[in-house]
Amino acid sequence: MEHDASNNRESSLAAPVDFLPPAGEVVTGPAPLPPSPAPFVALDRRVIQLWRISGLLGCAIIALPALVALLFVCHSLLGSAILAFVPWSGVLLFGCLWSLWYPARAYRAWGYRVEERVLEIRSGVWFRVIRFLPLSRLQHVDLHRGPLERAHGLASLTLHTAGTREASLGIPGLADADAESLRDQLAAAGGDDAV
Amino acid sequence: MPSEPPREPPSTPSPSSDPPLPPVLTSSVDSASIPPLLPVLAGHLHPLTLVVAGFNAIRNLLIPAVIVFATGSQASLGIMLIFFLGLNLLQAFIRYFTFTYQVEGGELTTRQGLFERRERRIPLTRVQDLRLEQGLVHRFLGVVELQVETASGQGAEASLSVLSRVDAERLRQAVFGQVAELTRRGASSSSPAEVPTEVIRKLETRDLVLAGLTSNQAASALVIVLASWQFFDDLLPKATYERLVETFTSRLEQWVNQGDHANWLAIGAIAVALIAVGLAVSVAGSLVLFHNFTLSRRGEDLHRSYGLLTRRSSSLPRRRIQLLQIQETWLRRLLRLATLRVDTAGSTPGQEQGREGRDVLLPVLPRREVASLLPILFPDLDAAAPPWHDVSRCAIRRGTLKGAIVLMALTAINWGIQRHLWALWPMLLLPGIYLINLLNFRHLGYALSDRFFWTRRGWLSRDTHLVPVRNAQTIVLRQTPFDRRFGVVTLFVDTAGQAHTKSGPQLRNVPFDQAEITARAVAVRAARTRYLWR
Repeated sequence: MEHDASNNRESSLAAPVDFLPPAGEVVTGPAPLPPSPAPFVALDRRVIQLWRISGLLGCAIIALPALVALLFVCHSLLGSAILAFVPWSGVLLFGCLWSLWYPARAYRAWGYRVEERVLEIRSGVWFRVIRFLPLSRLQHVDLHRGPLERAHGLASLTLHTAGTREASLGIPGLADADAESLRDQLAAAGGDDAV
Repeated sequence: MPSEPPREPPSTPSPSSDPPLPPVLTSSVDSASIPPLLPVLAGHLHPLTLVVAGFNAIRNLLIPAVIVFATGSQASLGIMLIFFLGLNLLQAFIRYFTFTYQVEGGELTTRQGLFERRERRIPLTRVQDLRLEQGLVHRFLGVVELQVETASGQGAEASLSVLSRVDAERLRQAVFGQVAELTRRGASSSSPAEVPTEVIRKLETRDLVLAGLTSNQAASALVIVLASWQFFDDLLPKATYERLVETFTSRLEQWVNQGDHANWLAIGAIAVALIAVGLAVSVAGSLVLFHNFTLSRRGEDLHRSYGLLTRRSSSLPRRRIQLLQIQETWLRRLLRLATLRVDTAGSTPGQEQGREGRDVLLPVLPRREVASLLPILFPDLDAAAPPWHDVSRCAIRRGTLKGAIVLMALTAINWGIQRHLWALWPMLLLPGIYLINLLNFRHLGYALSDRFFWTRRGWLSRDTHLVPVRNAQTIVLRQTPFDRRFGVVTLFVDTAGQAHTKSGPQLRNVPFDQAEITARAVAVRAARTRYLWR
């Protein structure tokens, strides 16, 4: 087999650079980590309402310029400005329904847990992401409270590492007190003396 | 959805069976609490700063000056040129008289400015890289330009232009000597005897010629040829140029109409000549840039020096290597050559980095020598190779499907142009696409040992990434809706300064449960080490 040949050719390699296990071979090793007993912590439920409101606000902000643009396009192309209301109201209705429905799904997708000094954050409804942050890599933590968040008694955390593409990780929609205690917990675990 | 054969999870030992982590080389030494160790080093720029600055100013103004005087000597423009020259010289003058530097108490301090005094303190343990650069003028005058790089990722933190060669070497030794001293005090102190320099690798002319021939710069060299043709086009008087083109095209037409094979040969010869010129340019570029390339090690520092016209050298403590890439582009793979690239926390992406050869640790070396080099770069590298784990076999199917979609689009376009059975030829490539994906799959994989995480991908051109677990910052699993149908994810390990190592250690189509176990294992091991900037 060709990969066996390549294996022999450069068998003196100390590093696994050219080593190819035969296709289909099952590699066994020591037992995997035991399944994590810690359940994921969900965000505060109030964040659903917050996301709905901000979604609807977004729709409202985009709606007016979009209407003007559509009116202009329909007037110049179709000769009738009234026609613009048909796609506009359709899209607007879709946007509103979406903003009401999606936050509940997104809420269910979000979760975080701390285990063995590793923070695990998962998110995403269709495009799912799980991020593992070793807490000793934590450079600093930002706690952010926007006006809408304050009105709901919520806060969000942003965690910064020295990385490049994933240098900042966010956890939105935490209850005020939770956010502060989580920040303190993470920062304490991330301190140099904890290693 | 077809089910994959059940697999054993990869070898990710439980935390209890983990061997103890290697002793961290340095403990948390508070640099402020350390009294100055070595005699204070202080100095200022070399008087030739003025000459070098003058040369640079003249060089920069040369082309504008030529244009000004070629387009009719307008006195006002000439005065402006002289004004700019004077401004540059004045700047250099001020810099020369106000710039001072000193190394004291674990810090490199630079001060400059006439009206606005600027002082910058760089803790020595934060210095990522010291670069020395010597252009032709510098070499003639015996001076160097020194740049200090930290992890800020925004280029040079301090630029000392210019120092005498002796001063630069003294400063380099002071910086790295004190860093070594600081770290030694932290660890159990070993004998602080003078460490000998060990040459790791020296590139011969043959290596550089190979590097030039296999660098994919032949294409860019062609661009240069075409650009110079364009320049000709602009330069020659229009009538002459048109006559030339006319004779050329008519000759060409004549040739093709004659239908003689010899003429096609001539056209082929022109193409070959163009390629040869491209190769020659890229070989010359490689020879000039990397002339006398030497990679050596002195204690913990890796030292590189290279260059024919402009001599460059840089020192890089090997602990600061965040990530290593063994790159084998397809041409180099044919000749069993590889390129080593590393990133430090201070790496910045950019065209300039490549042009100055800063993006590669070793531009070219035989593939089989990589393995013996790795333990020099990573002293704590595992002696025994960890086993590679395959990704899901669905990678073959998905890759083939993607290729098939592209082929189908091609065929559709072809069919639109000419409705003939021959128009369906792109579909004949489908078996080839499958074969490539199969071979690709066999070269995809990841491996995890106690201290290192490896990924490799690509069959035609191949990339192998090696990340010390102590440098892993975040481990990310991503799953698109398509991925979910196959139960796979994309695994990515983020580190500081991923600039020269392309897309980093990233692997698609890893079965979800294996990826999760691996990611958690990397994270847990990383959490037990401290991330060190020094």
